Order: sequence, then C-alpha cells, then structure tokens
Amino acid sequence: MSAITVRRLSKTFQSKRKSAGLGGSWRSLFRPEYVSVEAVREISFEMENGELLGFIGPNGAGKSTTIKMLTGILHPSGGEADVLGYCPWRERQKLAYYIGTVFGQRPQLWYHLPAIDTFTLFGKIYELEDAEVKRRIQFLAEAFEIKDLLETPVRKLSLGQRMRCEVAASLLHRPRLLLLDEPSIGLDVVAKQHIRDAIRTMSREEGVGVLLTSHDAGDLEALCHRVMIVHHGQIVYQDKVSNLKRKFLTRKTVEVRYAEEVSQDFHLEGMETLKTGRYGVKLAFNTQQVSADEVLTRLSAAGTLVDITISDPPLEEVIARIYETASVNETVGL
Amino acid sequence: MKKYWAIFKLQLANGFAYPGEFLGRSLMILPFMWVFYQLWRVTFAASGSEVINGLTLRSTLWYLVIAEVIELSRPRVGNTISDAVKDGSIAYILNKPYHFLGYHYSVSMADTVFRALINFVLGGAMAWLLVGPPPSFWGLLVVLPALLASWALHYCVAALIGLLAFWVEDVSAFQWIYQKLAFILGGLLIPLDFYPTWLRTIANALPFSSMTYVPARLFVEPSLMAFLTSLALQAIWLLVFVGGLSLLYRRGESALTVNGG
Repeated sequence: MSAITVRRLSKTFQSKRKSAGLGGSWRSLFRPEYVSVEAVREISFEMENGELLGFIGPNGAGKSTTIKMLTGILHPSGGEADVLGYCPWRERQKLAYYIGTVFGQRPQLWYHLPAIDTFTLFGKIYELEDAEVKRRIQFLAEAFEIKDLLETPVRKLSLGQRMRCEVAASLLHRPRLLLLDEPSIGLDVVAKQHIRDAIRTMSREEGVGVLLTSHDAGDLEALCHRVMIVHHGQIVYQDKVSNLKRKFLTRKTVEVRYAEEVSQDFHLEGMETLKTGRYGVKLAFNTQQVSADEVLTRLSAAGTLVDITISDPPLEEVIARIYETASVNETVGL
Repeated sequence: MKKYWAIFKLQLANGFAYPGEFLGRSLMILPFMWVFYQLWRVTFAASGSEVINGLTLRSTLWYLVIAEVIELSRPRVGNTISDAVKDGSIAYILNKPYHFLGYHYSVSMADTVFRALINFVLGGAMAWLLVGPPPSFWGLLVVLPALLASWALHYCVAALIGLLAFWVEDVSAFQWIYQKLAFILGGLLIPLDFYPTWLRTIANALPFSSMTYVPARLFVEPSLMAFLTSLALQAIWLLVFVGGLSLLYRRGESALTVNGG
C-alpha cells in the first residue's frame, strides 16, 4: 500500500521584480511587476509504506517545497497528493498526528531548555498518555544514544547531538511517515553516521517510512532503497539506489597525505591522478574498474599515510551526468 | 486545551532561563512611576483639589501602575508573527497538530504573565512608597479577569497586524499607529476621566479603552456593577477581534508562499 501518492504536483510562486535604483523602486511602487517562479513542475511519484526514499537535488531544486506541500503547509498550484490517506493541505492537522518532520535548518527543540522538556511537550501536543511518553522517551534515548544528553539545555549540545535529539523527538508519537529535510546538513562524518544508523534502525524496527531530502549523495547510499533526483522542479531520475550507484556514483576521489616525500607513480587501471604534491596526491577512480581496496593498498604501499579522505562526486556532477546519459534522457523526456 | 497549557508552562520555564534580563527590562517601570508621581502631584496641587473627576492622587497613581503593567507586559506578537510569515518559519509551526494562533497565544501569555508579575511588584512597591497602599484590595481580585481580557485583546490586535505580513512587506507602520492609539485613546498616560467629554466619548466607543482604561479604572474603584460592565464590554470587543483574526488567518494561510530550499 502506498504511503504517498503524488500526481502532477506543481507549485508556482509569484515573485516581485524590481529594477535597480531609486527609479526602479518608484516604478515598482505604482506598477509592481511579478514573475512566476515554478518551484515544482508536475511531479508524480509513489512511496510505499515503510520505504526509505531519497529525494535529492541541489539547492533550489524544489525538494523542500515538495515536502512542505506533502505536510500540508503549502497549497499547491496544481496536481494531487495523498499522504497516508489524507489530502495534506485540506487535512493538515489530522495528518500531523501520523507524520514526523525534521527540518535540518530549523530546530524544533526549545533552545534554552533541556531536550527532555520538548519531548514531554510533544507528548502533550500529540495527546499521548504520560506513562506512554515516559516509556517512549526511554526507548528513543537508547536507540539514539542520547540518554546523557536529555537533561542538558539544547543550546549546549553539539550540532550532531542536537540532530540526534531532533530526530528522536520527531519519532515520539510513533509516526508512520518521517519527513527529513536535510537532516545531516553541517554534520561531520561521525555525526552523520550516528544519525544514519539511528534512522535505519528505527525504520527497520518500527516500519516507519522515511522520505529524506538531502544534497549529500552519501545519505542516499547509506540509507535509501530508492532515490528520486529533482532538478529545476522536475524529477529527472528515479530508480533503486543500487542502480544509481552502478550507473552514476562510480567515480570517487581520494586524497592522501604522507609522512615523507613519495614517488609520483600511482598508476592503476581505472585511476586518474588529479593533483600531485611532494607529500600527497589527489586521485579519482572508477569503482567499476578498480575497487577501493585495491586503490588503498596501492596508496598505502607508497609511504606512511598521515591522512586520507575518500569522497563521492558532488551531486551537481551526478545530475550533469544523468542529463548527459541518453538512456536517462528518455525517462526525463528531454 | 491541555496542549496549549503545556506550551504556556514550557514558555514560562523558558523565561527562567534568563531571569536577569527579564528583571532588568522590568526596572523601567520605576522611573516611569516616579515621573508620573511628580507630574500628577504638581497637577493636583495646582488644581487646589484633592479629587479631580472622581480620582485622587493615590488612585491616579495606582491607576497608572495597572496601565503600565498592561502596556509593559502585553503580548508583543506582531513582530514575531510577521517575521514568521516573512522568513517562512511559520511553516515549522504549521506542521504540528496545534493551531498557529493558539500556539502563539500560549507562548506570548506566558511571557506576559511573567513580566506582569515582576512589573506589578516593582511598580506597586514604588506607588506604595509614594502614595500609600492601593485604594481597595478588592481591586486586586476583580482586576485579574479584566487583565486577562485586556491582554487577549492586545494579542488579537498584535496578531492581526502580524498577519498583514501575508500581503504587505513591512508591518511596522501599523504597529506604530496601534501603539500610539493605544497610548492616547486607551488612557495609558492620562486616565480618560481627565479628558474633555467629546474625546472621552470617542475613546469609550473604541476598543483601546477596553485594553487599558477599563481594567485600570476597575482596579482603583472596584464594584460588582463596574466589574460586570467592564467584562461585558471587553467580551464584545473580543468577539469582534477573534472573528476578524480567524477570518484574516484563514485567508492568509491559503496565501502562504514559503519558498523551499
């Protein structure tokens, strides 16, 4: 059964345009000009109950606008959506009892108070019994490893600790669907891993569906079954994450620093040198031609490693490749 | 209602996070009361009478204590709501199962109650020192519902102005006008009893008097009739404003254009 069904959903904003300078301001006062900005253009998709669906795209692609329509905050300019059997913008308050939301850039925890106070407040807001709230807090505190953080004022938590509390708070009322908008934004590698582990565990144990927006391809690889890539308000790609990885996330970059000067010969089939220095090198490699293990073995044999970073290509690059691929163009309808 | 009570209590606890800041701001009432005392002492002395239009120096100063407590503690949600509409943070309140205006009412009333207590203790102590105890201790009891109604009215007007941000980019001009009207026609600086009859008639016909004059006057001269009349008048204005607010909110909600990321 579908948790979310979206048909030709669109959102157009009217944005005021004003020419530069005093003259422009004067003219705009009497003859304001508006331009239409199509934030979301007729997108359609389905999401199954309990599915982990990634919704990714660069800034301004329309991800958050879609999430806001799916939570009922924004009224669409056109199209239909069904979320857990409700029309979000007509039945927002009813739907709110069954969904959890985390907006990475907008904390919902009360900043000056310990996180446990917000948890207790959410218990009241979602009309839960006090005993149930206590049990639930205990369970979430263990699942998210936040037991020792709950009584510390939120302002004193690190960003990673705060995000774990944020996600845990959004699960207090046992939502059937969790909408996560950039939950890993600004987090370091370890904190990202913590959040991803906890989300995966909760999804598996409670069957909660997760719609995750991010512009970090790593979130997808670690969490999602399926991915939709949105660009300029349109879905340009939707498929299983494993297929996306196979087709487009094949190129990784690795940057290493050595304790001593090293020779510059790092040649391996499928590997390309991007930048070299006396104490380090930056390389790109194709995971279909050479494994990360082989690359690391080759690099560690060259000298004593001091630092190493492996990164995925930026999402913009992945999207550019998707556009370039003829087979995908058919899906996109270009 | 439980959820709004919980929000109110949590915001009250939030106020205790920085008690010094709250107390510091409340100290303002002390110089205000001192200046009022000097002004009205001279006025009463110049008139050569102990009573002007039914008010003594003592009741005038205690009237001003309540008027100042109302003004200094009133819910200031105009900016909060207009900022929430403009920067899009309204979206993050709308996704929870409570009413946006109910949420802001609970939060702002917690701040109001906290500030009012401190302002009343400080302002009252100053007035007591200068002119003696309040004219009637019954006033303390009967003024409470009138104060709550007054702040509810203030909340409605402030929220109405804040919601205008759905259609206009800057609501500060409306805030300025509202504040000045509340000052003059509400009887914040001068009790309406001292106004010429024609101006008093106009002021009494407008909602601003129900926000300040009515509760402050009830405090210094409490009676069952005054209590019932005051509450009835406030209830009528509340009905008008709550109706207007719901209407404006419904229209604004569908006009919401929060840009996404």
